[in-house]
Amino acid sequence: MNRAGLGPLLLGILAGVSAGLLYGWVVQPIRVVDTSPASLRVDFQDEYVALIAVAHAATGDLPRALARLALLPAVGSEDHIAALAQARLADGRPSAEVQALAALAAELGSAHPSSTIGPSPTTRPATPQASPTLTTTRPRPTPIPTATPGAPFRLSERLLVCDDPAPLPRLQVVVLDSAGEGVPNVLVRVIWDTGQDQFFTGLKPELGIGFGDFSIEPDTEYTVQLSESDAIATGIRSETCTESSGANHIGSWRLTFVQPEAP
Amino acid sequence: MSLRLSRFLIGLAIGLALGLGYAWLLQPVTYVDTAPDSLRQDYRTDYILMVAEAYQAEGDLSQALFRLASLGPEPPLVIVTGAIDFAQANEFTTDDTRALTELAADLRAIPATPQTND
Repeated sequence: MNRAGLGPLLLGILAGVSAGLLYGWVVQPIRVVDTSPASLRVDFQDEYVALIAVAHAATGDLPRALARLALLPAVGSEDHIAALAQARLADGRPSAEVQALAALAAELGSAHPSSTIGPSPTTRPATPQASPTLTTTRPRPTPIPTATPGAPFRLSERLLVCDDPAPLPRLQVVVLDSAGEGVPNVLVRVIWDTGQDQFFTGLKPELGIGFGDFSIEPDTEYTVQLSESDAIATGIRSETCTESSGANHIGSWRLTFVQPEAP
Repeated sequence: MSLRLSRFLIGLAIGLALGLGYAWLLQPVTYVDTAPDSLRQDYRTDYILMVAEAYQAEGDLSQALFRLASLGPEPPLVIVTGAIDFAQANEFTTDDTRALTELAADLRAIPATPQTND
């Protein structure tokens, strides 16, 4: 083919590609339908997880919550849910939603030794394709110890921890009921000269469902208070630990709050 | 037909084939970053069911409306009614259907937006 013949051919190819793109992008653009939750944008997936948590808090149906979380492998892990609870707490989202997330993370931690939720072989969300299991009655909520509002927790122990594996010094808060069991979902307030923050216990279930922590800065004095309780710890400052080798590092503090036995 | 026109048409066909081959074989569409309004009907119904379950516990209709809004511009009652139809057609449990119908009933009780006369 001579050069004069190549021109129309290339022109045709160019016109064909252009026509294809015009058709695909303008005339008949893709309309996304029939997607699964896993394809949702990450913020929508987080909303989905929050809704799963709230629905779980309402029904107490853990198998169904697990089946729903299995649809969201990227964000359905216990760690992610715990982090989401913290983030939403910081964002000022409704406390019911934050507590539902915290409770779900804690329940996952006690139900699953590993932090990743896998698909359940027997239960799935309430879809007809899903599972006959869901046509049965709902299981009752798994009992999780919770703090009685206004419960008279008291500071039982205040301990400088020099062998904390955490990379930064922190406040470790442990909340126990009168039987010595960890209590999740307790809101802990941390106050210092220039600010305050808060967190829930139970978001790191691998460290105990009554455990919560908060990184501390040197040369700052902190006050720690359990919400809905008078229990308070004041004057907490970072302190130096000296290792056997003579090296120094900043230690962590562990505060243990205990609910006294009823008289 | 002139030789130039036939070459143009051959090129056009090759171009279309290249475009479609690229779009369908080399770089097929993958669905990411979608919104809840694109969920398949069964997932969509389960989403609405979660909203209804949460509403049963919270009793906060404005929160339920907020959650339903992510499913698209349709009126919330239409969204929930569609879910009820799907649930009934697919034999959802009585509890699930009740949660949906209670939410629909409360949505139905919302007074209609007053019409304005310009």
